[in-house]
Amino acid sequence: MKPKNYLVTNFGVMRISVCALVSLLLLGGLSVAQAQQNNPLASDPRAAGAGGVIFRAQCATCHGADAKGIASIEAPDLTLIWTQDGNTDGSVFATIQGGIPGSIMPAHGFPDTEIWMLVSYLRSIATGGATRPFTGDADTGQRLFNANCAGCHRVGGAGSTLGPNLAGVTARRSQDSIASSIREPSASIGRGYKPISFLSVNQGRVQGVIKSEDAFSIQIMDSNQQLRGFMKSELSQMNREPNSLMPSFSIAELSDSELNDILGFLDQQR
Amino acid sequence: MQTINFSKPLNRMLAGLVLMSLPLAVVGQANSGSVSSGPSYEDILQGFADSSRWLTYSGDYSGKRHSPLLQITPENVQQLRPVWTFQTGTTTRGRGFETTPLVDEGVLYVTGSNNYAWAIDAKTGRSFWQYRRNLPSDLTYGASSPVNRGFGMLGNSLFMVTLDAHLLSLDRRSGEILWDVVLADYRVGYAATMAPLVIDGKVIVGISGGEYATRGFIDAFDPVTGERIWRFNTIPGPGEPGSETWPDDADILARGGGGSWMNGSYDPELDLIYWGVGNPNPDYFGATRPGDNLYSNSIVALEAATGQLRWHYQFTPHDLHDWDSNQIPVLAEIEWQGQPRAVVMQANRNGFFYVLDRVTGELLLGKPFTGTTWAREIGSDGRPIVLNDGSKGCLPDPWGGTNFMPPSFYPELDLFFLTARETCATFVPEEPQLAPGQASFGGVVFIDNEQGSGALRALDVHTGELRWEFTYPSPSFGGVMTTASGLVFAGDHEGNLMAFDAESGENLWHYQTGSRIWGAAPMTHILDGRQYVLIPSGTTLTAFALPEE
Repeated sequence: MKPKNYLVTNFGVMRISVCALVSLLLLGGLSVAQAQQNNPLASDPRAAGAGGVIFRAQCATCHGADAKGIASIEAPDLTLIWTQDGNTDGSVFATIQGGIPGSIMPAHGFPDTEIWMLVSYLRSIATGGATRPFTGDADTGQRLFNANCAGCHRVGGAGSTLGPNLAGVTARRSQDSIASSIREPSASIGRGYKPISFLSVNQGRVQGVIKSEDAFSIQIMDSNQQLRGFMKSELSQMNREPNSLMPSFSIAELSDSELNDILGFLDQQR
Repeated sequence: MQTINFSKPLNRMLAGLVLMSLPLAVVGQANSGSVSSGPSYEDILQGFADSSRWLTYSGDYSGKRHSPLLQITPENVQQLRPVWTFQTGTTTRGRGFETTPLVDEGVLYVTGSNNYAWAIDAKTGRSFWQYRRNLPSDLTYGASSPVNRGFGMLGNSLFMVTLDAHLLSLDRRSGEILWDVVLADYRVGYAATMAPLVIDGKVIVGISGGEYATRGFIDAFDPVTGERIWRFNTIPGPGEPGSETWPDDADILARGGGGSWMNGSYDPELDLIYWGVGNPNPDYFGATRPGDNLYSNSIVALEAATGQLRWHYQFTPHDLHDWDSNQIPVLAEIEWQGQPRAVVMQANRNGFFYVLDRVTGELLLGKPFTGTTWAREIGSDGRPIVLNDGSKGCLPDPWGGTNFMPPSFYPELDLFFLTARETCATFVPEEPQLAPGQASFGGVVFIDNEQGSGALRALDVHTGELRWEFTYPSPSFGGVMTTASGLVFAGDHEGNLMAFDAESGENLWHYQTGSRIWGAAPMTHILDGRQYVLIPSGTTLTAFALPEE
């Protein structure tokens, strides 16, 4: 049984194509200056597939087979790197080649061509980007956002911090994915937003989202958006809620058209 | 090449005898005034007899990591507090210190990541010297795991392995190199990270690199000259015993994996070394290596004099999940079905706890200590009854049901303490490209990030049954130490150093060190009458003690 997000390739064919591509490009020659800025393989449709083979052999142990990272070793989700400010083909190339000093990401002595293949692969698996244009009315969307969302979320410096910052979310995630998070927020709750409630000996009933915890203590943001730390020994009735603190918005509460307007607004807030 | 005189003055030996009979309070001052020639093999053999010392990775040859020190007790451990911290000044995060410091005459000898090393004043945490190896820029395995687990020591010599797969001898007074020998070609995929094991006239080392197309080995070197005395190849050559468990193909044997990347244990009476062997390569893809793939995922008992194999036991035949068996082998004398028995115990990465007869290798017990769905029992033929090949969760992930973080055995309680990891992973094998210097895992693993926890577990060594546990929010790599005062010290992935009542499992004390404790275990020693407990975490080494009177 293969998980559905596994990138299926015919390895035999792919191996041949990697070798062929490497020889082709080595013969063609790459200038160093070029290599630092732009991906010379950007227009080559084979590069991403070849990069995927290299990725699974060399990178997947830390970053996961689906490149979504492994939280327990702090290996980041690589499907999101293109949404970070300043990341370019050249900067990702430099990170693979040089590693990240001070982190467990090592330098890699791969040939330049193989690093560019990895860059192409990472481009190919980037999460999101709009699958279709965001056509909603941004002004209506802003009004709806302020009324329904800004109590917990923020964009452009306005709003609240209980939920994730939604600036740039339309670049990170597809329209369908954002829409399903609005309709069914409890289906997938991100790290740092998992809800919990408990009774504190001195401070009564507390509800919030878990930011961090160890065997003895827990660090949360409470529903008043205050960061608070507790010793677990002072807590009782600890309940890890399955449902997100975010209410689900049914079609009756938020029509498809209104939802699209909110997305239209968010798309302006990159 | 410089040689060292290891001959030991008689007066030093007498001083040692006197020292053992003195009350603990004066230990540490007993050597002042005399010129030290450093610990001898006999000193290491004494293990914990002189508690001002910790001379080998686990504290003694048995691997029990069980100190006889009694000053810190379940009654007073709540008062334990940091005395000093030492920071490396380097920036490795995540996997930083994995070392066990050695200590002798009030000086700690400590290795760090990226082949830094220090001699540190055990009283103040101030360093005497720092060593840093100039490493090549094209490291292979050593680039992805730039760690080191500690020194070996003999006389005034320290022994350290390197990420470019050398073995070094350093002068412990200066940090200067006495000799430097190559273990293997790092460019192929080798590296070395383990703490050398010093026995009589030999320094025993193992090698890392099983994720690459390499062939593991265990080497013995002359401590004075650095000359190699013997080599045991963990993967047999064509025609050698064990080769029948591989395809009849010399090339496959030559890159069969079988790293030997952790410290082994030693029985001086049997003169046998017990050493864990790692995964076959490729890790997850087995179609090109049909058979059991000896001696991967096995424990081997080697004759110390010759490196000849006396016996072996394979925990995971034909491994497909990177379940190295490099966890510390723990030697003990226990009562087994009414008879005294010399055993070797191991909590294995495959999620099972094993007890073997140390003389013959006979399997006495094999019981799961995790919720593994890989197998739940060992058959009467000594082989696991495999239920799940990894194509469906939940197996222990490639980091295993436990890993190289040291366990501890408490003989007075017959309890084995270990850090268990509960994880859920699905394995998808894929034939790798093989090239020198390129890792060949042979597939990918999907780890369910939502499912995962850790626990300190106390196992009854007679049954493998769980006596008690203390759970952690995430799978931990922190190691364990026990003291005869009734305490268990353990580290966790969230950065806590903790103390527990060994019998009840009650948590008695904890301290947040600020960074995860990864692969390291506590050690303890006495200095000027005061018991210290040390734990490395991140890039910091912290020493704890009770308040001074």
